[in-house]
Amino acid sequence: MTTAPTLKIENLRTYFYSRSKQAFIRSVDGVSLEIAQGETLGVVGESGSGKSITALSVLGLISAGPGVISGKIGFKSDRIQKNLLQDLDDFVKLTTKDGKIMAVSKDVVGWERNTERVMNKLRGKEIAMIFQNPKSSLNPFTPVGKQITEAIQLHTSIKTEQQAKERALTWLDRVKIDSPRLRFDNYPYGLSGGMCQRAMIAMALACEPSLLIADELTTGLDATIQSKIVDLLVELKSQLGITTMLISHDISIISRLSDSVAVMYGGTVFEYGPTRDLLSTGFASKHPYTSGLLASIPSEQSIREKGYLQAIEGDVLDTINIPEGCRFYGRCNQVTEKIREKCARHEPDLREIGSGHKVRCWLYFD
Amino acid sequence: MAKTILEVMDLKKHFTHRKGLFSSFKEAQQSIPAVDGVSFYIKENETLGVVGESGCGKTTIGRTILRLEKPTSGKIIFDGKDITSVRTDELRQLRGQMQMIFQDLDAALNPKMRIHDILSEAITVHHRISDAEVDRRISDLLEQVNLKKSKLCNFPNELSGGEKRRVGLARVLSVGAKFIVADEPTSALDVSIQAQVVNLLRDLQKRLGLSYLFISHDLRVVELISHKVAVMYLGKIVEMGLSDRIANKASHPYTHILWSSLLEKQSKETAQKAKSVQAVRWGVFDFERPTAGCRFVPRCPVYESKGKPTPCTDPATEPQLKDIGGAHQVACHFPL
Repeated sequence: MTTAPTLKIENLRTYFYSRSKQAFIRSVDGVSLEIAQGETLGVVGESGSGKSITALSVLGLISAGPGVISGKIGFKSDRIQKNLLQDLDDFVKLTTKDGKIMAVSKDVVGWERNTERVMNKLRGKEIAMIFQNPKSSLNPFTPVGKQITEAIQLHTSIKTEQQAKERALTWLDRVKIDSPRLRFDNYPYGLSGGMCQRAMIAMALACEPSLLIADELTTGLDATIQSKIVDLLVELKSQLGITTMLISHDISIISRLSDSVAVMYGGTVFEYGPTRDLLSTGFASKHPYTSGLLASIPSEQSIREKGYLQAIEGDVLDTINIPEGCRFYGRCNQVTEKIREKCARHEPDLREIGSGHKVRCWLYFD
Repeated sequence: MAKTILEVMDLKKHFTHRKGLFSSFKEAQQSIPAVDGVSFYIKENETLGVVGESGCGKTTIGRTILRLEKPTSGKIIFDGKDITSVRTDELRQLRGQMQMIFQDLDAALNPKMRIHDILSEAITVHHRISDAEVDRRISDLLEQVNLKKSKLCNFPNELSGGEKRRVGLARVLSVGAKFIVADEPTSALDVSIQAQVVNLLRDLQKRLGLSYLFISHDLRVVELISHKVAVMYLGKIVEMGLSDRIANKASHPYTHILWSSLLEKQSKETAQKAKSVQAVRWGVFDFERPTAGCRFVPRCPVYESKGKPTPCTDPATEPQLKDIGGAHQVACHFPL
């Protein structure tokens, strides 16, 4: 029996309007992703590739302003099934020319009210997010335990403070914060970075969400703490079977934790498939960008030989002036004479080339 | 045989913690030993990597060597000259030879100056030369760090992370420094850009004969770029030696834990094994009151497994760096 995936993003576009440059910043430009129930999807890519914006779009946290969000975000859990971007189009009027969006006029108030109406029932309860910087996403004026208790009272059927507190304590214990009763009354500044991150994980999971979005949850932590947090997540994953979208630019974390991987670049998905195929070194057909990313990590061999690292030359794509043709064309080192013309002129689509393995590159298409 | 460019002997830097205006009358001031007796040397054209968790004193070492902080005690010898207490006017001359690449370049580059002005200021502070000569040097520098000339009239916020690093490097090179303290030069960069910066650093070392003190908590990068590695824990060096020995034949339990926490090295079984070794209480370590004897005791798996031997907690026998052969030093009573 096949069930519908927990999250199904179809052709998501999130554009921001830059007033000074008089142009759209196409942060997310046609992303399609799927996360089946109980699965972990890793999203990798350089900064500016649109990973976080995709996550924020799912949660409806992109502020209205003059910008565009279009596409479909299908969300399904035991309780709810709906398109998160439903009805949003009613509030937006687009002027298009040759398939490109030229201008947007928007009923901001109605748009925001609609987002709030849809998302309020979901945020925290159905979809929880762990943000990049734990220290700044916790309220500095409230003890951590109180913050978790609050979230539980707000999002679950537990309404009495005593019960919610008990639940918060069990979760603090579950994420391995030692002496949870003592830590319960600590303010965030009294906790180390790793502890804060654990508290955030506890807060996100205490409401038993159907989908967890973790955005760069280990960046800025020491290597030793990092591996502890990853171990914790592996353990929680096997115990609870949470559906997770894991965003990181650290490939080693993604390869440890996720079942499938989406490699993003310049606002689109470049490669998509099972982790063991995509991120293992022996696998043959890979997008030049993915193999470039893998090669730029110091490997056993390069350390032994004290050799140079294989870098991807050039800088991350400027998402205002997206060139025609492949987005990676300027930095790609595998362009052959045969396909050069195509690479420079036509943008490849995301095509399936193996079981569940999709690539956006002319190299693999005939 | 290469010349020793920098030698540090028993360097200490204690920060005092003042509690209010009249605290000095009331009680003895509490001091925090950020760097507590560190000795090492760096030869010409050599890189010493310093690793350790945040808060272990890596950055303080770098800053103290450059005399951005006044050392509490100890000796710093740069190029055969004792610079521990040179006067400020001599320092300026000295800083033409030793420089630092700061961790946070958003803070280190003046947001209101164009790249050209940032570079030319650095050059003219140390050398009195004509404008034409300055321009010629700047274009040389840009070539060395692979930066496009069109970026010269940009402001720092218009550059990407990798480009900012390059500007930081160009500024350091502009004064003709031969010893560079690189403080987390690759943190906050994407892997692809990190690789570019690492390659550039090594390239410059080869061409210009630079020496680096490379501070980072990214173990892989340190292993790759350094000749020697020093591992720090709470203000002390606990192990020092050639980089591949530190990475593969670690003697101190802390070094071992650090390197085994690398995710890339963990396959499924070794992860299980590492977990059993690492099943330590990550007790809160208190910088202000280090434990008596060895500082690593509260987190040490060997201490646990050996049945809590007394030398480890005896304040009289705090382990010192001992040579164990092959230019490898370790400060532990029971090296692995």
